Amino acid sequence: MNLWVLYCAIRLRANFLPNFAFLQSGVNVSNPPIIQTSNLTKKFGKLSAVDHLNLAIEEGEIFGLLGPNGAGKTTTILMLTTVIRPTEGTATIAGFDIKKSPNKAREMIGVCFQEPKLLWVSTAWDVLNWHAKVCGLSTQERKRRVKWALEETNIWDDRRKSVHALSGGTKKRVEIAKILVQRPKIAIVDEPTAQIDVVGKHRIWNMLRDLRAEGSTIILATNELQEADILSDRVAIMHKGKLLVVDTPKKLKDSIPGGDIMEVHLEKEAPDKVLDELQAFKEVVSVKKMVSNTLRLNLNQVEAVTPRIMKLFYDQSLRISTIYMSEPSLDDVFAHFTGLTLEEAQKE
Amino acid sequence: MGLRKLWLVIERDLRMFIQYKFMLIMRGIWFTSQVALFGLVVNRMVQEAVPDYFHYYVAGVTIITLYSTAMFIGYDIFEEAEHGVFEYLLTLPVSRRELVLGRSIGGGLRSFIYIGPLLVVVLFILGVLNPLYLLVAVASLFLFAFGVSGMSITIAVVMKSGDKYDILIGVLDALIVRLSTTMYPTLYMQRATPAYAAIANFNPLTYASDLFRWGTGIEGTLQFSPLVGVLALFTFFFSFTFIGVVFYERRLEGGSWQ
Repeated sequence: MNLWVLYCAIRLRANFLPNFAFLQSGVNVSNPPIIQTSNLTKKFGKLSAVDHLNLAIEEGEIFGLLGPNGAGKTTTILMLTTVIRPTEGTATIAGFDIKKSPNKAREMIGVCFQEPKLLWVSTAWDVLNWHAKVCGLSTQERKRRVKWALEETNIWDDRRKSVHALSGGTKKRVEIAKILVQRPKIAIVDEPTAQIDVVGKHRIWNMLRDLRAEGSTIILATNELQEADILSDRVAIMHKGKLLVVDTPKKLKDSIPGGDIMEVHLEKEAPDKVLDELQAFKEVVSVKKMVSNTLRLNLNQVEAVTPRIMKLFYDQSLRISTIYMSEPSLDDVFAHFTGLTLEEAQKE
Repeated sequence: MGLRKLWLVIERDLRMFIQYKFMLIMRGIWFTSQVALFGLVVNRMVQEAVPDYFHYYVAGVTIITLYSTAMFIGYDIFEEAEHGVFEYLLTLPVSRRELVLGRSIGGGLRSFIYIGPLLVVVLFILGVLNPLYLLVAVASLFLFAFGVSGMSITIAVVMKSGDKYDILIGVLDALIVRLSTTMYPTLYMQRATPAYAAIANFNPLTYASDLFRWGTGIEGTLQFSPLVGVLALFTFFFSFTFIGVVFYERRLEGGSWQ
């Protein structure tokens, strides 16, 4: 029993360990934010595509911009990259105001678009080579990086083919290769793994991590919750042009009252006294007796309370036969803040 | 403005132009058939009125070819809008001014490079009497090509519709070419309707064609001073390249490209 409790506790610690990746990876929280938006707004007619957005993105972090289609992610990106002008408010990119110094702001940014922006007549090599030139790489460095990026994204063999002859996934990889060649101070990636297979997704995630390790700050716009959860140090959730919430995925998930669920199947029925004691833990939101000696607990901060729950069962000589735990997903977070699942919001 | 970045924008347009092999071959065939078929036959027909119409026509067709290839950049703009390349270009560390000026020059330069070999053939046919005059004529063709390219870009970004652009360019082509001295001298336009000749006097194609004929010695005298001709073409180039930048910047935003 003791060993079992210890095993559970270790597993829990492993699963629910706070994400300190952004601290290890050089996120500089003492410097001013590398991107700061102040009441950034874009209206198309009466529709507010982005509505008074206030964000501060720290240097070196992977910042997830999450929301269904139409949430305002792409419009935000287009304003930050100075493609479209804000109707109201502004933003600074590494200290440069996007309205007053758009040219300087653009020098800091590299973009991987959701839809690959390639002309059918160009070849992958042409696209990357010209991109590298415009970004100011020296001839030697350009040749080296273009070759490396083509190999890294697995398109070296197709480098001389016209873009129209490439598959959707390969075109997307060419788009990603642009930022790999550029290694910008701020990389904005919009749905980087759309149209990419599972193996390719993991490769791209690793490439983005490597890019961050080399000093880039990454803004990841996605509606893939798992992707945002895995990669992001912090996540901003947008809906209908408004910013709903910003925090680490962990804290966002913890913010859902009773979001962590623990189902414990005991070898015998738990007496009411145990239920009362469980309910007395401040992290326990509710305890329900289910069928077959099963207890269902809705918890906050599961990693903090689990050892005490295990100890209580141990002290009461209640042997555990199985235990099932789940933490809330970012989808649950989105639903918590909007009352809609991401799918419903997409339809809306 | 960075010259290096300006050159990179120009280089991109030149590289892209080479990719349009089918268009380039077809334009070459069009030019050859205009000269070798239409020019020769019509020359027989009108030589009593205009003794050296063939040479007159060859010079005119060269200008029309230059005009139509310089206009091609507008189609590139729509192609780019359709594939979203526009947005990509706007995110690059290149100023809007460098982008528009580079494209305007690139569009003009590539058309000039394209007609380069044709020009050599034309000069061989026509012969060159005065190298200085020819230099002035070629320089004015440069201004003309860049101006047309800037005009094409401006029209494309103002229209924001590929279909409408296509139709407008067809109409414009008919009007601009026909209301100029590319295919017939002003005298005959004057005889037909004086208004036609009056309009032709404000047409950049008229200045380009007449300066080219003067530079190659087809026409000994010009109806206007060569300086006026060069200035007119410079104004045309300046208007559509630099004032076009304003249009370009204002009209790029917000999508709605068709």
